[in-house]
Amino acid sequence: MQLAVNRTRCAHCGLPVEATGADPVYCCAGCEGAAAIVHAAGLEAWYTRRTATPDRPAPADVDWSAVPVVDQGGTCEARLVIGGLRCGACAWLNEKALADLDGVVSAHVSHASGRALVRWDPSRTDLPSIGERVAALGYRPRADLGADPPDRGLLLRLGVACFAAMNGMMVAAPVYLGWALGMSEPYQVLFRWAALVLATPVALWCAEPFYVGAVASLRRGLLHVDLPVSLAVVVLYAHGVWATFSGHDGYLDSLGMLVALLLAGRVLEQRGRERAAEAVRLLANQGPKNAVRVLPGGIERVSVEDLDLGDRVEVGAGGEIPVDGSVVRGRALVAMALLTGESEPRPVGVGERVVAGAVLEQGHLVIEVEARSGERLLERVGAQVLAAVERPRSPGAADRLPPWFTASTLLIAGGTCFAWRGDSLQALEATVAVLVVACPCALALAEPLATAAGLRAAARRGLLLRDGQALQRLAEVDRVALDKTGTLTGGRLEVVEASDETLALAAAVERASVHPVGRAIVDACVERGLPVRLAADIREEAHVGITGRLDGRWVRVRGAGAGRVEVVGHGEVVLRDRLRPGVGTLVQSLGLPVVLITGDAPEVAERIGREAGVSQVLAGLDPEAKRRFVEAHPRTLFVGDGLNDGPALAAAHVGLAMEEGAATSLVAADGAVLGNGLGPVLAGLRLGRATARSVRVNLVRSVAYNVVAVAAAALGLVDPLVAALLMPLSSGLVLASAAGLEARVARLEGA
Amino acid sequence: MNAVFLLLPLAMALGAIFAGLFLLAVNDGQMDDLDDPAERVLFDD
Repeated sequence: MQLAVNRTRCAHCGLPVEATGADPVYCCAGCEGAAAIVHAAGLEAWYTRRTATPDRPAPADVDWSAVPVVDQGGTCEARLVIGGLRCGACAWLNEKALADLDGVVSAHVSHASGRALVRWDPSRTDLPSIGERVAALGYRPRADLGADPPDRGLLLRLGVACFAAMNGMMVAAPVYLGWALGMSEPYQVLFRWAALVLATPVALWCAEPFYVGAVASLRRGLLHVDLPVSLAVVVLYAHGVWATFSGHDGYLDSLGMLVALLLAGRVLEQRGRERAAEAVRLLANQGPKNAVRVLPGGIERVSVEDLDLGDRVEVGAGGEIPVDGSVVRGRALVAMALLTGESEPRPVGVGERVVAGAVLEQGHLVIEVEARSGERLLERVGAQVLAAVERPRSPGAADRLPPWFTASTLLIAGGTCFAWRGDSLQALEATVAVLVVACPCALALAEPLATAAGLRAAARRGLLLRDGQALQRLAEVDRVALDKTGTLTGGRLEVVEASDETLALAAAVERASVHPVGRAIVDACVERGLPVRLAADIREEAHVGITGRLDGRWVRVRGAGAGRVEVVGHGEVVLRDRLRPGVGTLVQSLGLPVVLITGDAPEVAERIGREAGVSQVLAGLDPEAKRRFVEAHPRTLFVGDGLNDGPALAAAHVGLAMEEGAATSLVAADGAVLGNGLGPVLAGLRLGRATARSVRVNLVRSVAYNVVAVAAAALGLVDPLVAALLMPLSSGLVLASAAGLEARVARLEGA
Repeated sequence: MNAVFLLLPLAMALGAIFAGLFLLAVNDGQMDDLDDPAERVLFDD
């Protein structure tokens, strides 16, 4: 027996393999092929630059005819979604490997959006070859369906507003200096007109999103922050036009500054939100669109929509099952992760029913179609979940102004106008000043800035939220409900019981298997410091087990009931679901009741619940009961992952889905938890509270500022120069508070 | 001092040209992806 653990990692995908003496070592032919491409293109640098390893290469199963191709006279252009991009180096590798392909004119791969834009010469190459190239490297090319073009409107408006604000200050400074030093009439007129020219595009075009928001909020009968902002902009501009024509000083420099600051907040918020929404959408954009139909004379590739009831389709290892139906031929191991979140593959044989979206891990099946496209379980549940998601949610607390905020501003403006009625010019100036300084610029900035900072911080910690409201709702959560399979337990197994000898023998044959049981056994072997050897002539058969020859003897490992495998003639290995990392921390440091809700049998649920330390275990719940539970507890955060969690995820105050969970659960949820642990959930709860607190603090500051500033304005003490100085001051306070958000959360996590 | 009557419009026109170039750049998609170029610069080819 060997004494040293002779283990190394595949040079391409990082999977643990036995050192064979060869250097480098690859785990499979696919990885060796991928490495050959990398080396042939001279891109070895990728191996040192990458910060994450790719998946093992699998053939691309994409209907390339469905990808929209733009013909640009001589060159073709198409957008692809590339799955499996983990870091900047991955994007770089794909880009270079594509550019190296004969006939490709240009390729741009973005890690941030997970997309590629490829241009090629149709006479020298075609889209399938390009897709195969990507797949051969271990990435998953897909058609880019229904991608929205990026919304550039806000950024364009911000650019123009910044230009106007900066130049507006430049022309305003001489006017203010002129007050002190004296300035002759022609110059005053010049600078006033220059300010008006600069402010016009700001008021008429840049501020449009605020007008739209104000009108929309009025229609819904709500007082949105956009309303007083629009009011201030309109009054400012109208007064500015009047002042310029009649030879008075206006507040036009403040106008540019106000709009530019507010737009900057919006742009930041939009960027954070778009990225998170996009990531969730990409994850959910799954499900097979094509099938291989078996005909008496052979096979043909068809779209799922063209299948009829009674048609037979075939699916090979690695393929996704495209239809709901019964198996008529073949045996296979099928993983239903997309639907149930259960990653453990389950054996399926003739006569059994399978559903679309399941992945065939081993074997080969011929399936008779029993549900038309559009009526598949995947789609039926998806439709229910979407209906639940589209139910309107109440707007976030910070979106709604305290009703008295706007009302009192208007009242004070009216009162000021009345109080100064003896002097019509002074009345106008004072009223305008009140409306201008009362603009809740700081408050309007507070929410987008804090939200953007919060979403960014959450994304860095592995929690992708759909929008800022989800973040704010996280702050209101008073109860956490967790699903069991796939959420509390990661679908990863660990060995609980086995003798060293049994384990070592099992590992020698299971090494060749990609099955979770095999990986758990090999990992356990390494943990115990046992030698991991490699049997010869390994053969793996679905449902039967795996056999191999070690030291001239045959070793046979086969399943022996739930959570057990048997090494024939030696003993058993007992395995169980392992809790996800971070569960204990989540339960202990939350200070909130944590409930385990599951469809599983009570005894299993109780054991897992005890281990995790949750305060309550509710077992045997069907999807409907789960939904009723979260509805009965209106401030519940529900974390789930399966198809059957969809209704509860949509109904919960905040629903979070695990990244590798069912596509439908991702659609229903407010966000996705990336990675293996539940740490991001805890981070999200903390960030939600910190964000809500930041918004609240800024509300108080903003109101305090307004009380003082409005009082001064009503007394006629605010002139354009004072307004120009006050506005950035209050906004600066908000900026500082948003910038401090990250630091506060980091302190909390350290504590 | 009369120079300011010429220089101020000139300066604003110059600024407007740059604002226009920014609009062109945004519409060209140069601002769509602000994350990858930062990583890309580390990979000299």
